[in-house]
Amino acid sequence: MEATIKLSDLFKILKAHLFLIIAITVVSVSIATIISYFVLTPIYTADTQILVNQKSDKKDPYVASSQIDADLQMINTYNVVIKSPLILSKVIEKLDLNSTPETLTNQITILNTNNSQVFTVHVEDAKASQAVDISNTIAEIFKSEIPTLMKVDNINILSYAKLSEHPIPAKPNKLLNIGISGIIGLMIGIGLAILIETLDTRIKSEQDVEDILDIPIIGLVSPINIDKKTSRLKRQTSNIDAV
Amino acid sequence: MFYSKKPKKGKQLKLERNLVTISDSKSIISEQFRTIRTNITFSVTDQELKTILVTSSIPGEGKSTNAANIGVVFAQEGKKVLIIDADMRRPTLHHTFRLPNIDGLSNVLVRKQTVQKVVQETSIVGLYVMTSGPLPPNPSELLASKTMEALLRIVEQEYDLVIFDSPPLLPVTDAQILSHKCNGTILIVDMNIAKKEDVKKAKLSLNNSQAKILGVILNNSALPRNHYHYQYK
Repeated sequence: MEATIKLSDLFKILKAHLFLIIAITVVSVSIATIISYFVLTPIYTADTQILVNQKSDKKDPYVASSQIDADLQMINTYNVVIKSPLILSKVIEKLDLNSTPETLTNQITILNTNNSQVFTVHVEDAKASQAVDISNTIAEIFKSEIPTLMKVDNINILSYAKLSEHPIPAKPNKLLNIGISGIIGLMIGIGLAILIETLDTRIKSEQDVEDILDIPIIGLVSPINIDKKTSRLKRQTSNIDAV
Repeated sequence: MFYSKKPKKGKQLKLERNLVTISDSKSIISEQFRTIRTNITFSVTDQELKTILVTSSIPGEGKSTNAANIGVVFAQEGKKVLIIDADMRRPTLHHTFRLPNIDGLSNVLVRKQTVQKVVQETSIVGLYVMTSGPLPPNPSELLASKTMEALLRIVEQEYDLVIFDSPPLLPVTDAQILSHKCNGTILIVDMNIAKKEDVKKAKLSLNNSQAKILGVILNNSALPRNHYHYQYK
């Protein structure tokens, strides 16, 4: 068998198995839709921004600038501190959450733009309001705890997370899931069509006969039990005859 | 595995369908058989075409149905046609034409009967049928015998065209023997069940017996979507 498939053959194969390809794609998309909408729990996110800035009376620009550097370096430490059980257990206590510091840690991400004194506490939760509460509570507790922990008072909460009226879940990304499943379904369908065509050793067209036999085709005989079609044609003719 | 063939419908229906060139001579299929008739007539130019073998690679591709219908369309053209059921393993021609199969080809080949006595007339003018006769234990030997040669000479003189319906090529050698003796061979290929490999092997065995292959008839080919169909009155 030839290893290569002509492009025109490929189109023919795809056309012949169009229904199969569409069916698999539709099934794949519907599965993804059902899973995205009914199976996966939607995850909501909330962001609280925290500014790290030492209140400084000194007007010396050099000192101010070195202070900023120090603050920037502190952020790395704060990242760890925020996710520490010390803070998180207090958050759980205050919000009366049914959770452990370990699981809560996984819900929290600290986002920090390079060389920025602002960092963001990003919280994911199945409940939109809870995500907002956790995010804000972490910021507040962190702010109140940090002077005792580090003897510095340079934490300001820049913006609190707010609960929007119609929270949109960040995860799952339904459109993305459906899109990906559509593409995967399409690929599986095309692959299957080509596979079926390759495994099918039957003669399917006049071209096949000419290709493999090199014998002229002297006739085509349609299936004789296509009674409906022929009788319909016959009826039409007999109507004409009657007129 | 994907393409298991549906079981055949009832026998009565099959009988009705078999001779479509008689039962529905205006149908597209009848027209297709007339096209085949034309193509067969023009496929041989240098010698007279007297004997045609109809065979296929595997059983059930429509040899008998095609042989019968080709015989009918040639008879309708005004030729004196004889169809011989050379399938002495699983004969069907007498079913198709609803004729008794008491005496037939096998009787002639064992020299128990003469050709003239076993040929039966059909309801179609100019169409005669020789059924298989009782099933012999050695069909291949009978077909290869000298008596067969003699039979061929007789029928070639008496009829304009003799069509042999034979067993399939791949399982038994009968068709190969006959194809060597006939002027032309037609290979039936059923598009639903014929495998490329089988058809290739069938062609090879025909080449080995130095058969003159007139061409292929593609059976069960779907009607083209925009097929031409016109009616003259």
